[in-house]
Amino acid sequence: MSLQLSFIQIFISHIKREFLINFRSLVDVISIISFMILIVTLFILGIGPFEEKLRLISNAIFWIGLILAIIPSLEKTLQRDYDNGWLDQSITSPTPMELILLSKSLAYWLIVIIPLVISLPLFIVLLNINLKLIPWLLISILVGGLSISLIGIIGSALTLGAKRGNILLPILIIPLIIPILIFGVGISETVRINESPIGNLFLLIGFTLIYLVISPFISAFLIRIAISR
Amino acid sequence: MFDWLANPNRFNRITEKIQPCILVITIITLISGLYFGLFDSPKDYQQGDAVRIMYVHVPSAWLASFLYFSLAISCVFYLVWKHPLADLVSSTIAPIGMLFSVLTLVTGSLWGKPMWGTWWVWDARLTSMLVLFFFYLGYILLSNAFERKIDGSKTASVLAIVGLINLPIVKFSVDWWHTLHQPASIIKIGGPSIDDKMLLPLILMIFALSFFSLYMIILNVKTKLIEKKCEALLLKSNLEKYRKQVKI
Repeated sequence: MSLQLSFIQIFISHIKREFLINFRSLVDVISIISFMILIVTLFILGIGPFEEKLRLISNAIFWIGLILAIIPSLEKTLQRDYDNGWLDQSITSPTPMELILLSKSLAYWLIVIIPLVISLPLFIVLLNINLKLIPWLLISILVGGLSISLIGIIGSALTLGAKRGNILLPILIIPLIIPILIFGVGISETVRINESPIGNLFLLIGFTLIYLVISPFISAFLIRIAISR
Repeated sequence: MFDWLANPNRFNRITEKIQPCILVITIITLISGLYFGLFDSPKDYQQGDAVRIMYVHVPSAWLASFLYFSLAISCVFYLVWKHPLADLVSSTIAPIGMLFSVLTLVTGSLWGKPMWGTWWVWDARLTSMLVLFFFYLGYILLSNAFERKIDGSKTASVLAIVGLINLPIVKFSVDWWHTLHQPASIIKIGGPSIDDKMLLPLILMIFALSFFSLYMIILNVKTKLIEKKCEALLLKSNLEKYRKQVKI
């Protein structure tokens, strides 16, 4: 057996590592889902239990809940590795930092998206979402979740070692995430009024692809700045 | 060219000569622009005198976006060629740009009250200006969030560049979302659709505010250069004092 690992092997081993860390304690996963349920509850309590009102804004509530529920856990993705020195070690390894970060963001995406997909029926019941929306909703949270985690890695790398980084992170991240919200709600809304959502979906995919290309490079650059401190 | 300008002494020498000219141009264009705008331009047949808010609103909106672009460009210069002057420039552009975006939002809502009947309408252009404001805010907060100044400016420069990639997408998506704003009327294929008498003060005001912000940027950069020199001198004198004490 050769000692030289291929990029694919390294990639898979990093994803495995993230999974082990995150699923060993289920606290993170449970907190994301319960946070989202609480946001939805707050919205419903705010607007009152009126069917017509809810039908008009249920898609928006779903997407805002999704984004707000993901943001608090973003900060930890790199901070933990920065604090215990894992990032210092991996920057000296021959594996490019970009590859490690790409695998990290894909792992984070899977970790966040699997519980959300599992709990999707719950939100469909809670928010009275039309059943014909389900396949589109599934595709759009898969694609949108990927771009949120790619942008989140950038944000997490930006606030590495910053004072009050946990407060700063949402201010930096939310303006970058706006297009995801608009295209995501656009997909659901166009389906609701019986039109083709393909245009919005392609825009969402295009946005995600842009960040799939630039996010690993930008966050690796930022981590090199943070490590050199 | 930037390489050549990046020498602080040379920068000081050149701006010494340019600065009074910029000030004079600013004063002349500002006074004439305000005169033409406030007294010598026709009322709009729909909007009445409220149309005169446009002579501040449009130039500051234009400058807010243009200054963000130049902020990101100078951040690129800072990150790639590591010019210390580029960092000073971008850290002075950010508050000025933020000021102009606030001015745009305020004048927009002042204009909105008589026109739309409410202070604030979630129209596409105002919303994207609000997002631009948050990009400026994020840049300023992040550049002050680190123990050492240099870490903050490096990290915030990356944020500004990401923002430059992201802002057109935000702008497009917000436009896509919904709009009840007037379509663009100055830059348009087939010439502007605005009366010459209104166009003249508008262009004068755009020049006035651009030269004003250029003047402010040069002034601020000079102040910061002097501050840095003072810091260095202070360190040096402290060091000499310390050496004398040690010898005694």
